[in-house]
Amino acid sequence: MLCGGGPIHHFTPIEVGMLAYTIKRLLTLIPTLLAASILVFLFVHLIPGNPAAILLGDTATPEEVAQLSAEMGFDRPLWVQYMLWLGNVLQGDLGTSIFFREPVLSVIGSGAETSILLATMTMVWIIIIGLPIGILSATKHGTWIDQITSSGAMLAASIPTFWLGLYLIMIFSVYLGWFPSSGFPSLSDEGGLSNLRYLLLPSLTLAAPNAALIVRLVRASMLDVAREDHVRTARAKGLHPSRVAIKHIFRNALISVAAAFGFTFAALISEAVVTETVFSLPGIGRLVVQSILRRDYPVIQGVILVIVVLYMVINLLVDLAYARLDPRVSLK
Amino acid sequence: MNAVNFLRAAFTGRKLATVGFIWLCLIALAAIAAPLIAPFDPLEIDPVGRLAKPGWPNLFGTDHFGRDTFSRAIYGARMTVIIGVGSVIVALVAGGAIGMLSAYFTRLGHFLMRGVDVLMAFPALLMALVLITLLERSVYNTILVIGIVYATTTARILYGMTLKLKGEVFVDAAICSGAGHNSILFRHILPNLVSPLLVQASFIFAFAQLQAAALDFLGLGLPPEVPSWGNMLSEERIYITRAPWLLIYPGMLIVLSVFSMNLVGDALRDSIDPRFKDDIAGV
Amino acid sequence: MALLEVENLEIAVSSRGKLLPVVQGVSFDVDDNETLGIVGESGCGKSLTSLAIMGLLGGTTVRITGGNIRFDGMDLLTLPEKDRRAIMGNRMAMIFQEPMTSLNPVYRIGDQIIENLRRHKNLSYATARDRAVELLTLVRIPNPGERVDSFPHQVSGGQRQRVMIAMALSCDPKLLIADEPTTALDVTVQKEVLDLMADLQKRMGTAIVLISHDLGVIAETCDKVAVMYRGRVAEAASTADLFAELAHPYTRGLLNSIPFVDRDVEWLEAIPGRVPTLEEDLTGCAFHPRCALATDLCSLTVPDTSQFKPGHAVQCHFPGKVTS
Repeated sequence: MLCGGGPIHHFTPIEVGMLAYTIKRLLTLIPTLLAASILVFLFVHLIPGNPAAILLGDTATPEEVAQLSAEMGFDRPLWVQYMLWLGNVLQGDLGTSIFFREPVLSVIGSGAETSILLATMTMVWIIIIGLPIGILSATKHGTWIDQITSSGAMLAASIPTFWLGLYLIMIFSVYLGWFPSSGFPSLSDEGGLSNLRYLLLPSLTLAAPNAALIVRLVRASMLDVAREDHVRTARAKGLHPSRVAIKHIFRNALISVAAAFGFTFAALISEAVVTETVFSLPGIGRLVVQSILRRDYPVIQGVILVIVVLYMVINLLVDLAYARLDPRVSLK
Repeated sequence: MNAVNFLRAAFTGRKLATVGFIWLCLIALAAIAAPLIAPFDPLEIDPVGRLAKPGWPNLFGTDHFGRDTFSRAIYGARMTVIIGVGSVIVALVAGGAIGMLSAYFTRLGHFLMRGVDVLMAFPALLMALVLITLLERSVYNTILVIGIVYATTTARILYGMTLKLKGEVFVDAAICSGAGHNSILFRHILPNLVSPLLVQASFIFAFAQLQAAALDFLGLGLPPEVPSWGNMLSEERIYITRAPWLLIYPGMLIVLSVFSMNLVGDALRDSIDPRFKDDIAGV
Repeated sequence: MALLEVENLEIAVSSRGKLLPVVQGVSFDVDDNETLGIVGESGCGKSLTSLAIMGLLGGTTVRITGGNIRFDGMDLLTLPEKDRRAIMGNRMAMIFQEPMTSLNPVYRIGDQIIENLRRHKNLSYATARDRAVELLTLVRIPNPGERVDSFPHQVSGGQRQRVMIAMALSCDPKLLIADEPTTALDVTVQKEVLDLMADLQKRMGTAIVLISHDLGVIAETCDKVAVMYRGRVAEAASTADLFAELAHPYTRGLLNSIPFVDRDVEWLEAIPGRVPTLEEDLTGCAFHPRCALATDLCSLTVPDTSQFKPGHAVQCHFPGKVTS
């Protein structure tokens, strides 16, 4: 709302438009999901060797291999195998981890808590730090403030996260002793919410380069919007410059920025690998790397599938956000 | 727009970008002349002089094997250049071809771009990791993997740009004068894409460094015998408290090189045809 | 004392370190209930002049470098920023050339009008909303009760311009500046919008400054005209006086290049040459390279503005020579 105190809420055309748009997007999601699932399924079969032997690991006996082969239908045509696999997946059975000897889904689940919490905390930092600086940089365009924030942001975006992480550990954990440097006990363990302090340094490490990118994106989008005619109209109404900056420039720039937020969150979950390694956090990223080194293919496959689905869901949410933020999208 | 004019226009008045460009030239120089400049053999082990502080004769000190860090850094510049240039070539050629052809031949294009969409659902690092699982660690494979990762975004971008160009009048004019597909693509469309491709190349180069360093750090990138800045960070990681300088130098080198590349890319992007400004990735 | 007095206005643009004058010595007056037309080719400085009056010359590249602007007794150029903004949209309002992009696509039409109302008058949302519907009715938008909740992309270009007019007039301004309000519209819609503006003027007594490159529009709607060329006022008079006996060769050239329905002409005479760019330095009268009556004097000295007749100002060494 542009002004406080809106009209009484009826089922407005914009809501109908949104609903139709959502359904439309959901429908287009399905074929892409299927295509991705095919790729994921083929992954195991691209690895040289008998798939059953690969899935069971080196310690399996020939009988076990033969039994799994029959069960999984590895002697059946490929598309049948795909259907069987897909059927299992839809029921929640992503296979069994070679290393942990547990269902893949539960292995992933335990890593998920860490990754999601880390990603969320990082997003909070990014929004708190990135947005205001980006807006400041745009409104003070051309001044030394802008120069410093822009260059600073670019510099921050050039720092490898693991390097930053290592030095943060050295300063804040080793020398100052303020924060722990590794591990993350679950929130359900003793310590409860205070265990979040384990995520402080890692989330700052991850936030730095991403916040920098957001700063630059917000700045660029706002500068683009500021050139548009409707901003001149807003100024001609004698509105206070900060109102013009937020309600007319930032609000319109948000359309492009919102997408970036969505993708950043998705990226944080899957690409926090390095940070998780540096801080020894039991997250999904580290799980992937370790599984790769251990050749635990069911887990690798499972994680990829989960992450792909996650990406697509986020994609959808971003599109919906677009529709919400830009009335031109959902209403014709 | 003539290439020389384009470069000149990009750098005048932008001091920081020019400095960045000079830094990159230095890196390139170090890469080419490595055997001549490096005071020591980067692989030569000296168990006695390990973990020496920076000074003379080891300007950057020595690592836990006693190898001279400065020489390793210089040879690491080689890897930086090779990985950067290699990834850019793979990404631009593969991605560019797919993007351009998809826009030009629209029926084929719809199908191909759907495929690219699906691939883009896989996050970059993850894709890199997955591909590495299937291949073994080597310089070529690292280049290949990173190149493929960025080929998808490049394809997307080139697709958009080519579509825009296709709609321009000069293409219609060329068709009217009887030009064939090859001619239109290579003599009319491609030259217009050179500057945005250059900008895209610079950003890919920058990101490739970070990806390569991350892969090296995880032990999944370049083989350990190859001196690279990422590998140096990975190997010396546990000595951070005893010998912090071992990590500062390679880290700073990465930061400065990526920063420079970003600056250059930004400067280039500010001076290209405004049509394409919004398409380019790498904020 | 007139409602708006512009005296020797000077505006300059900084380009590559140099300050280039784009508007020089521009003077005119507007009274209550009067319509002043400013006419000239693209680039003659008419838009910049209007933006300067409104106070919208933001940024570091374009600046007012001299002259005075007095509005309703106030000296606009020395007014503090806060007070200037209190006038904008309130006592003085502006509408622009491109209705398609002048409204914010993300907010409803009604809300954008309400924003102006609540900025300047202490109204509740409900009262402001009612007023917005009234305004939409005033500008002849069909179904104002529903349209007030529409988004800009859901209405046509002509309707958007009317919304802009409604928004501009919402606080009953004494002066409305209209920068080429009909240029981007169809001819039929053009007439509707101009008629609407004339009608509203009669009702509300607003003074209007209408900027256009179309002499026909100016002739129909304006009481007074100022003809601008390359940043200066070439000629200024009441519309009747101007068309009865014009004094500047450029005005003659403009008139000659318009097709009149009731005249039979072999061909339209274009003014030879082109408008010189900002960077090209000129001595003497800005128009002399293209003027059929130019002499050596014209290429050396800038002519003074003289009174060709009472109320009819010209900037030419040989005023009136063109009609004789």
